[in-house]
Amino acid sequence: MKVKTFVKPVLGISTEILYTIAIMLAAFLLCLLLTVFK
Amino acid sequence: MILKPTLKDLRTIGYYLGRVITGLGFTMLIPLFFGLLRGEFNPVLDFTITLEITLLLGLFLSKSCFTQEDLNWMQGMIVVSLSWLAAMFLGAVPLYLSGHWKSYLDACFDSMSGFATTGLTLVQDLDHLSMAHNLWRHLIMFIGGQGVVIIALSFFVKGSAGAFRMYVGEARDERIMPNVVNTSRFIWIVSLVFLALGTLSLGLAGIYGGMKPGNAFFHGACVFMAAFDTGGFAPQSQSILYYHNFLFEVVTISIMILGAINFKLHYHLWMVNRREIYKNIETRTLFITIMVTFFIAALGLKQLGSYPGALSLFRKGFYQLISGHTGTGFQTIYPQQFMQDWSPLALVGVIIAMGLGGAVCSTTGAIKMLRIGLIYKAMQEDIKRIILPPRAIVVKKYHHIKVLFLEDKQVRPALLITLAYLLLYGLGAIVGMLFGYPFLDSLFESTSAAANVGLSCGITSAAMPSALKVTYILQMWAGRLEFMSVLTLVGFVAAAVKGR
Repeated sequence: MKVKTFVKPVLGISTEILYTIAIMLAAFLLCLLLTVFK
Repeated sequence: MILKPTLKDLRTIGYYLGRVITGLGFTMLIPLFFGLLRGEFNPVLDFTITLEITLLLGLFLSKSCFTQEDLNWMQGMIVVSLSWLAAMFLGAVPLYLSGHWKSYLDACFDSMSGFATTGLTLVQDLDHLSMAHNLWRHLIMFIGGQGVVIIALSFFVKGSAGAFRMYVGEARDERIMPNVVNTSRFIWIVSLVFLALGTLSLGLAGIYGGMKPGNAFFHGACVFMAAFDTGGFAPQSQSILYYHNFLFEVVTISIMILGAINFKLHYHLWMVNRREIYKNIETRTLFITIMVTFFIAALGLKQLGSYPGALSLFRKGFYQLISGHTGTGFQTIYPQQFMQDWSPLALVGVIIAMGLGGAVCSTTGAIKMLRIGLIYKAMQEDIKRIILPPRAIVVKKYHHIKVLFLEDKQVRPALLITLAYLLLYGLGAIVGMLFGYPFLDSLFESTSAAANVGLSCGITSAAMPSALKVTYILQMWAGRLEFMSVLTLVGFVAAAVKGR
């Protein structure tokens, strides 16, 4: 029960960080595309 | 017929205002003790003087206006708008006493900029400001980001209906838990957990970049507070450019986006269902608007060829864009570079991003993602109604924590607040142009102030006209509180003068 109390928020925080990484990766991909296709 | 406010109204407002001011006073103990630890005795004196003034005023109001009455909607809204003005005036005192601001108005500008999590600054010689004062600049962003009234709700006001009215007045219309005090406490828990994680990550990134550990963690804590609360004050005058550290930039981007997420969504992701992030209307809209506005800005940057490589486009172009979209205001370029290296199209991309903002019930300002998402869905619904046969029943749904049906009662306030923001951006731009600044510069700076962003193209400086400083202060105040409590205060004053 106690483990579950900590696991859920940790997974939630990880999901949020993954969301921020996804935005950065998408933006970097756009940068790459724009610099490759001149 | 307008009714004149009664003495009972003034008494109730005075009592709750006193409680909020007392709460604010206690937060000054943090820079005071920090100054003592660091041996910065002049700053300690500045904070002792301000603490005394604040506590005396707070106690005077709460004792002289003592009441057991709960707040009604009008009183709650007025307490909120007055609390923010009081916070600005009192928070500016230690800044002005430091001697780093040319006038008390300049200190008030920075104080409002801090509390409203804007980030525009008029400080002189920031690089030699004492650490206690620097901590206070960042702490007021943290307090303002949580909400000045949230402090009082968390510690000094019992969870009553009046507490909820103040909570709503501070532009947080979403209750995370049934009890508004528990909601305030959860907001603190989220912020403190991320404070620990963010300070650690930024501190380590600073050490990796060559900073000494103590300095790296101090900078890490300050930058975290400004990034998560989408404020934008930086400990150094060159903002994030000072660090010349890619890792530091990536971590701050991550923190800025986390700060732009709805606190209710944080709760849901942490406690209930983490898959909500894929379905939620706000996270989806945020992702799309970031990409669209960055595409516009990047096309604009390509026109001048300012950042030819992918990495430099990311570090200079995307960084300013995400900083503007989340309402933070960190910069990795000098303010003047916006006008020199950025084409008008690139600037328009950033202005749109600044005007849109982050999620509702987050620390960002501006129109916000839920409203943009709802307006988009409403447009889709109306177009469907035109295309489909007249007898067809059109129902539109959206996902925000749970599946909800789109109704006019949600779309109307979304449209009204969007319109109010657009007017505020425009009005500020007109005032800027009255003082002789070009249109695009004026619109950029006005949007930055009203949307509580803090990016500057160079207009904001101690040398700008006082009337423009006051305009930006009012924009920051109204923008942060989302108009309703500010307009209630205007109505209250009008009723006091004209009412019967």
